[in-house]
Amino acid sequence: MKLLTTTNRYYLALAAVLFLLGTGLLYVGIQRALAHEVDEQLQLYQSYLQRQLQHTHRLPAPVNPQELTVSSTPVATGLGDTVLLDPIEQTQVPFRQVTFRATVQGQPYWFTLRKSLIETEDVLEVVLAVMLAVMTLLFGSLVLLNRWLSRWLWAPFQYTLRALQGYQLQQPQPLLLPHTAIDEFSELNQAVTQLTQRLTADYQALKEFTENAAHETQTPLAIMQAKLEQLLQLPELPEAAASSVHALYRATIRLSRLHQALTLLSKIENRQFTGSRALQLQDLLREKLEQLQDFLEAKRIEPQLVLVAPVAVTMHPALADSLVGNLLQNAVKHNVPGGQLRIHLSPEALEVTNTGPILTTDPMLLLGRFRKHNAASDSPGLGLSIAQQICTYYGFQLSYSFSSVGSLHTLKVRF
Amino acid sequence: MKILIVEDEAPLRASLLEYLRHDGYVCETAENYQQAHEKIKLYQYDCVLIDLTLPDGSGLDLVRTLKQENSVAGVVIISARGSLDDKVEGLELGADDYLQKPFHLAELNARLRSVLRRRQFQGQRHLAFRDLTVFPDQALVLVKDQPVTLTRKEYDLLLFLLANPNRLLTKESIAEHLWGDAADAADSFDFIYTHLKNLRKKLQELGADNYIRTMYGLGYKLETE
Repeated sequence: MKLLTTTNRYYLALAAVLFLLGTGLLYVGIQRALAHEVDEQLQLYQSYLQRQLQHTHRLPAPVNPQELTVSSTPVATGLGDTVLLDPIEQTQVPFRQVTFRATVQGQPYWFTLRKSLIETEDVLEVVLAVMLAVMTLLFGSLVLLNRWLSRWLWAPFQYTLRALQGYQLQQPQPLLLPHTAIDEFSELNQAVTQLTQRLTADYQALKEFTENAAHETQTPLAIMQAKLEQLLQLPELPEAAASSVHALYRATIRLSRLHQALTLLSKIENRQFTGSRALQLQDLLREKLEQLQDFLEAKRIEPQLVLVAPVAVTMHPALADSLVGNLLQNAVKHNVPGGQLRIHLSPEALEVTNTGPILTTDPMLLLGRFRKHNAASDSPGLGLSIAQQICTYYGFQLSYSFSSVGSLHTLKVRF
Repeated sequence: MKILIVEDEAPLRASLLEYLRHDGYVCETAENYQQAHEKIKLYQYDCVLIDLTLPDGSGLDLVRTLKQENSVAGVVIISARGSLDDKVEGLELGADDYLQKPFHLAELNARLRSVLRRRQFQGQRHLAFRDLTVFPDQALVLVKDQPVTLTRKEYDLLLFLLANPNRLLTKESIAEHLWGDAADAADSFDFIYTHLKNLRKKLQELGADNYIRTMYGLGYKLETE
């Protein structure tokens, strides 16, 4: 819900309560004021009549019986309320009356003066009508005002919001937002600018750290590998020592590979791969299969490539290469001699199915880091983690399923 | 052949120096940007090996200097930073090759030879080794003047061996040179043997016998005699 709609709702609720309260107060107030005025008029009339009676010593000429009745029998004196029938409207009409006793020509008389009060409903009607009119006017103008406010006053906020939506961590500059006259927006913009400055700095530091860590680790590994390679070249190296040196040499290569894979993973996690472009996936698949030709032949595997339609994906070329490479290498490496390899590419998904060893664990677990089916294997077990990380990066879904019928492993990338 | 090795890590510099000198190259070394800069300004080299991260500067600036001077020297970048940007930038600046640390010395040697071969002027653009003659431009291999038909991988393997004669080539370096990352798809190095066996047989049929020696499980060596 929009902020303005919400505020308007509260305004409306508050105004409704105030309106009810105001209507009641206004009604009571008007009634009282009217009653007071009527009483005053009646008393004025009474004193006038009394003076006239003293002067003339005669009963006044008959007038409208509703306004003045003269009775020779005693009636309770003083101010009071009464209701009389209006002969025209045939309704009960409220009256205020005052009764006093006066002696005319030695005879006592009770005079009752009356004044009609405005009907309650009429008063209520007028009050309600006025209040409603005021309310409508108030709300109409409030809505119009808010519309104007949201368009003009909130414009800097909308600008900041759009800038934030379009903000990418990889961009080297912090977000620069224009100055606004409103303190709150100005503060918001300042906070956002500071936040992006910090983010940019942190991102740069992280990027440099990853690169430096790679550099600092790969350099000693390069020295180790070169020295071991030179040791292996020595003609006088005894055979027993040679196998130890070779084992060391292999371990160094393995460590270096492992480190490269981990660096790649953290680079993907840190979103350090910018510069995606549209790639034809079927071309990449063919290219990768071509590179694996020797290994396919060695295992007598005939790959089946099913292309439903050409598929273009927008990816960083190195990551696309890594994703497809890892999936296919995995399918070849864990395949059995004479096994199957089926690749199915459609605009919805890429599926790689291969024959492999029987799986007793949950295949999805093999997507985790350092998880491998054969624990003794030389590979670090990061290939599928990298594939999964790349999929996550691009919003694809990677799933791994195993079918015991034919012992088929399927890796599926849903775009 | 004169080569300048720019590398700040002393042990690695020593290994490169020893390996390349053994192959008959005249080598000089520089351990920082300043030294390297002076040397490339003063002398002519056939090839310069440049480490990108130097204590007092960037190797990329050395590549820029070489290109500004219109140097004829080939440039091979060796870097520990696996950053793709560095590689792209290095090659765009005009470097001939880019090798990521750690690397196999045999691989560096093969790349160096290929850079030097490409940089040499017209003329004798062939490799000769005992009874073997290879014309890399035409991918033609002759044994005692008889052409041999090799598969792509057999040919690449032969060139790799020829770049490193009389040296042990480990199976790991052969796998990486010939297949790169795709070698991960194999569960053992047996596949190298298949290709080597075929290459040996083809050479043997034309009388080039006992050229490639198997080194007890480690790898292979191209024998000079």
